[in-house]
Amino acid sequence: MELYSPEGLRVDGRRWNELRRFYCRINTHPIVADGSAYVEAGNTKIVCLLNGPHEPTRSQMNTQKGSLDIKLHVSPFSTTERRKVTRNDRRIQELSTILKNTFEQVVILKNYPRTIIEVNVRVLAQDGGLLAACCNAITLALVDAGIALYDYISAVSAGVFDNQILLDLNRLEEQDLSSVTIGVVGKTKKLSLVLSETRLPQDRLAKVFEVAVNGCHQLKDQMDAQVAKKGREKAITEELKTNWVQ
Amino acid sequence: MTEIISIRKPLNPNADSDVESSDEEMLEASLAPKNNNQSIVTPGELITEDPIWMRGHGTYYLNEKTYSSVAGTISKVNKLLSVVPLRGRYQPETGDHVVGRITEVGPKRWKVDIGARQDAALMLGSVNLPGGVLRRKSESDELQMRNFLKEGDLLNAEVQSIFQDGSASLHTRSLKYGKLRNGYFVKVPSSLIIRQKNHLHELPGSITIIIGVNGYIWISKTLYQHQKSLPSTTGNNALDSTVSSAAAKSNSYTPGQGSVSITRLEEESSWEIYSDKNEPISVATKDTIARYANCVKALAKCDIGITETRIIAAYEASMVYENAGLLLDEETMKSIGEDVLNRERMRG
Repeated sequence: MELYSPEGLRVDGRRWNELRRFYCRINTHPIVADGSAYVEAGNTKIVCLLNGPHEPTRSQMNTQKGSLDIKLHVSPFSTTERRKVTRNDRRIQELSTILKNTFEQVVILKNYPRTIIEVNVRVLAQDGGLLAACCNAITLALVDAGIALYDYISAVSAGVFDNQILLDLNRLEEQDLSSVTIGVVGKTKKLSLVLSETRLPQDRLAKVFEVAVNGCHQLKDQMDAQVAKKGREKAITEELKTNWVQ
Repeated sequence: MTEIISIRKPLNPNADSDVESSDEEMLEASLAPKNNNQSIVTPGELITEDPIWMRGHGTYYLNEKTYSSVAGTISKVNKLLSVVPLRGRYQPETGDHVVGRITEVGPKRWKVDIGARQDAALMLGSVNLPGGVLRRKSESDELQMRNFLKEGDLLNAEVQSIFQDGSASLHTRSLKYGKLRNGYFVKVPSSLIIRQKNHLHELPGSITIIIGVNGYIWISKTLYQHQKSLPSTTGNNALDSTVSSAAAKSNSYTPGQGSVSITRLEEESSWEIYSDKNEPISVATKDTIARYANCVKALAKCDIGITETRIIAAYEASMVYENAGLLLDEETMKSIGEDVLNRERMRG
């Protein structure tokens, strides 16, 4: 099987610079969570529920700034073959830590002393780009919960195949290619997250980053559009509420 | 600059209305600021480069520019610029009537979950203890704090003050505050509650509702004392008078009431406010409570602000459904919400 055909098409029919279909919603679970989001990137599907900021237990208390707790749950049915999920999978734990370190930089935690923000990320289906999709889902959940952020973080993966850069890898491509996942702060070129689990040719790195950053900006626009749309809907109901009081 | 191709979900007329083509969305976005004067900002969006504004909540300052840190609407009060988030936890303010749940009994204080960022504190000194208002608090009171309020107990209270870090201090030094019983607890988003003069209402069907500003709502059977002490606030006079007279009739016989001496009366009643036992509640009343609770849930589901009139309107609309449990159906909830709004429009 060829990952990139001479005609310039990938296994799923995309061009090299094409993102998978990205679909996101916020406020999916308004009752059970303070902030919630659902993200689909191609066939990767993520639900993120956020609770907080709320009272922490004694050991988690930090009087200077808020604490952030991110838990990643990978469903056993998320891959093509059902896999038993062990509680302390090293890879999952590492990903959680990476996400935590990323978001501790972007959430204005000094505004929330003596509190904890609990984030639960549930992976329903994975088809590559797991970390990137989780990152996008957490950003949206934080925005939905009304937690102060410096900016959005949008993430995407990119890889190299025979000198050809491929954006937003799916599972098949991810298995065979060397790739990197990056997270970008807003519409800047600042990277808040870089993770590569494979080796990358150094001379291609700059170009890979450039393509990935542009992909992130595209995703940021789509997430922003969804947030703004929810905001306008809310503004209308808000009007309804205040009209009554007057 | 590398170009990036991206596709979206195709437009499907049968799907949710929120799936729109990008063209439509762009059109909508360009129209929005003109239509409503309050525009939406999102995190990281530049609000102003003008340094004359004072930066309030929901903003941050970087390189002499003010950015938004939350998604919400801009509010300008004199020179203070802040962004009001669309959603968020309840922020206590002095004087708020709230419903809360005890989470912890600590030294001379209870910790109360009121749905805010941090648990509120209820000091031993700011509750009414059995034995009269003028009683001094002794060490023995400190030791038996769990006899008054223990973990898991619900109470209604007023926010007395706000600490430096934003957490609240409560008090229950009034007859209308204190421990809650004989009822059912419902939680709704606090943004749906409008601050009003009165948050305790009598509803038709001898039901009392406490709409906590924090979005915690308590629906209970109306007690005999309430009938006496509270002026009726419902506009629906004819209905209300029949209700109260019926309630008065059923409660007119209170055994042993005449036999309590005047000096013991206060103590007796005070211990009663910390009682854990429910009064006998008839099946009919329980059903009414459940119906009201589901009406509140329906209003919350439709994102309608929750007020006494709307709850009554929803209750009346719900009478079409015989079983209160049927109200939990999503379609039913939506139809009740629409019903309530239609009634309001008709009234003008």
